[in-house]
Amino acid sequence: MRYSDFTTYDLLLLAQGLGVTIGLFLVTSLIGLVIGVLWGVVRFYRIPLLTPLITFIAELLKNSPVLVQLFLVFFGFPAFFHLNVTPVQAAVVTLSANTAAFIYVIAVSAIESVGREQIDAARAFGLSRWQILRHVIAPQAAAFSIGPLTALLVNQLQVTSLISVIGVMDLAKIGATLNLRTLKPFIVWAVVGLLYYLTAKLIAAVGARYETRLRRFSEFRGL
Amino acid sequence: MLKVENVKKAFGAATVLDGVNLTVSPGEVVSILGSSGSGKSTLIRCINGLEKLNGGRIAIDDFDVAKPKELAEARKRSATVFQLFNLYPHMTTLQNIALAPVEVLKRPRAEVEQEARALLASVGLSDKVDAYPAHLSGGQRQRVGICRALAMKPRYLLLDEVTSALDPEMTAEVLAILAKLAREGTTMLFVTHEVEFARQISNRIVFLDKGVLLVDLPTEEFFAASGGLAQPRIAQFLSKMKKD
Amino acid sequence: MQFDLTILGPYLGFLGQGAVLTAVICLLSLAGAVVLGMLVAIARTSQTAWIRRLAFIYVDVFRNIPFIVQLFFFYYGLPEIGIYIDAITTGVIALSIAGGAYASDAIRSGILAIDNGILEAAEVSGLSKRITFTRIVLPIALRTSVRPLGSVLINMILTSSILSTITVNELTGQAKIVASDTFRPFEVYAVLLVVYAALTWLVSIGISHLHKHLNRDLASEAA
Repeated sequence: MRYSDFTTYDLLLLAQGLGVTIGLFLVTSLIGLVIGVLWGVVRFYRIPLLTPLITFIAELLKNSPVLVQLFLVFFGFPAFFHLNVTPVQAAVVTLSANTAAFIYVIAVSAIESVGREQIDAARAFGLSRWQILRHVIAPQAAAFSIGPLTALLVNQLQVTSLISVIGVMDLAKIGATLNLRTLKPFIVWAVVGLLYYLTAKLIAAVGARYETRLRRFSEFRGL
Repeated sequence: MLKVENVKKAFGAATVLDGVNLTVSPGEVVSILGSSGSGKSTLIRCINGLEKLNGGRIAIDDFDVAKPKELAEARKRSATVFQLFNLYPHMTTLQNIALAPVEVLKRPRAEVEQEARALLASVGLSDKVDAYPAHLSGGQRQRVGICRALAMKPRYLLLDEVTSALDPEMTAEVLAILAKLAREGTTMLFVTHEVEFARQISNRIVFLDKGVLLVDLPTEEFFAASGGLAQPRIAQFLSKMKKD
Repeated sequence: MQFDLTILGPYLGFLGQGAVLTAVICLLSLAGAVVLGMLVAIARTSQTAWIRRLAFIYVDVFRNIPFIVQLFFFYYGLPEIGIYIDAITTGVIALSIAGGAYASDAIRSGILAIDNGILEAAEVSGLSKRITFTRIVLPIALRTSVRPLGSVLINMILTSSILSTITVNELTGQAKIVASDTFRPFEVYAVLLVVYAALTWLVSIGISHLHKHLNRDLASEAA
């Protein structure tokens, strides 16, 4: 390709890439959150077979490279199951599952952070397991997990950049395209890096705000 | 000579030492008594340069501890034994003792280690040369702490409540070593709660009360009815100590 | 299609080469990260404000920008300023720098956890700052941060898979070749996923043992 300089249109491209990144980040985080919490609830009910299976899958997802997971879904699934998998579909499936595995770990420790004696007390009052989960555990677990959750989301934003490898036109992929066209790697990757950095800071700031708000509820505010 | 002249020390608004004067001559054993919060540990920490003075002067053999260049020399002439031992946890007793003589005094390692073994033998720890602090009892740790200080061949040994963290049995084994050092003529400045022991080994006793040096008397006079005991604060302190 | 692992048989040696390269890259990068982490940890505990600030910026930047962006920045950028190094070296440098940001946190908390009394003992015995640091602070901090540094290594193993995007034929890079040779991406990537998980699991066991071994004499028994 012929070398050419930056144009104002490139700003639009970057904005588009950032949009794809943030969009996929939000969607997969949400799906991951729902699945991960659901897995946590399954574990809370100690459902036989399902609990160890989930734990095993979560461990596998946590301890293998996301890139390999992505290749398995994008290249492996179509070949093996004779499916059509688009890059975006592969990205959504992989990132959601990966996020779910980490959410599951946070959910488990959040549930376990609630004191045994509280659960015993609630049970003594005749609350059902669901009622205990809903009214005793959930509010405290949410306050407990907001910190680790924010850290996870900042990390997962960065993980989304890997989907550029399978051809999703996210921010990193736009960076690669611009890099190839302009042959100005320092500027291109610095700008792309900065956009990721600012987005990460935004997530951290939102997380911190929710944390203070949730903490306020759980603090004793005097009589 | 170790000289403390009109020393003042405050932490924020709280005055801890208020114009303290004290002199320790070579060969003397001086005990500092006083209830907790009287400033006696702070005085030791001022002498070894861990705390900055707010006023006055401290000099060890004429080396002013407030001057960085002289502080290094002052520290070569004194050594501190701490209440909580403060041994280096990742080093064996031998390494704990040998580190400073080799690195600070630049003495040959073989010679230093030979002396360290002899020191450990003299405190009954020949078999603990290669043990780590975590595997020693509190009393054993403090004996190592004393050896570490002695290995620097200090002219003045500073002891900061060295038995406060120990149970009575371990206290006894540490005090026995200090008594022996006193008999051998080691110069010691000794902050302690052990009134009876201080009486046995000290030439002089100093009493600090709320940062003020109340009396500085030869041991016999301190315990005489007409001497230290004439001061109500001291009488009160001593009777309380006896009850404990 | 049947799940058939026998097709991998002829490629085991080939994949083994990739695994060896992954191991070499990770060990070199770990060494780089620990050295860098130590320097940055020192800087972050420095008395001088601008040194602390600089160290903080380094950690903040490299933790909040996706590794693939950092990697491309070095891979495409370095030749532009006349530095021509091979992809493997570039990968090791990028992994060391990214890992160093995390390692500095681990080492820094190891330094901050050291009992102040120990440092005072060193100070009054006249030990210089340099000797105190190299003989007392660092040995203790490195011992107590074995576990967090182990997490850095595990993350590094997973992250090193991204080097396959700059033509480094480590484990994932070799697997890509096998996948396209055999037309069996599902089997290849499924096995690869399990291999990574098993590898990190073994490493974490090794770290636990190392931690126990190095801290056997530090454990404080009742005095």
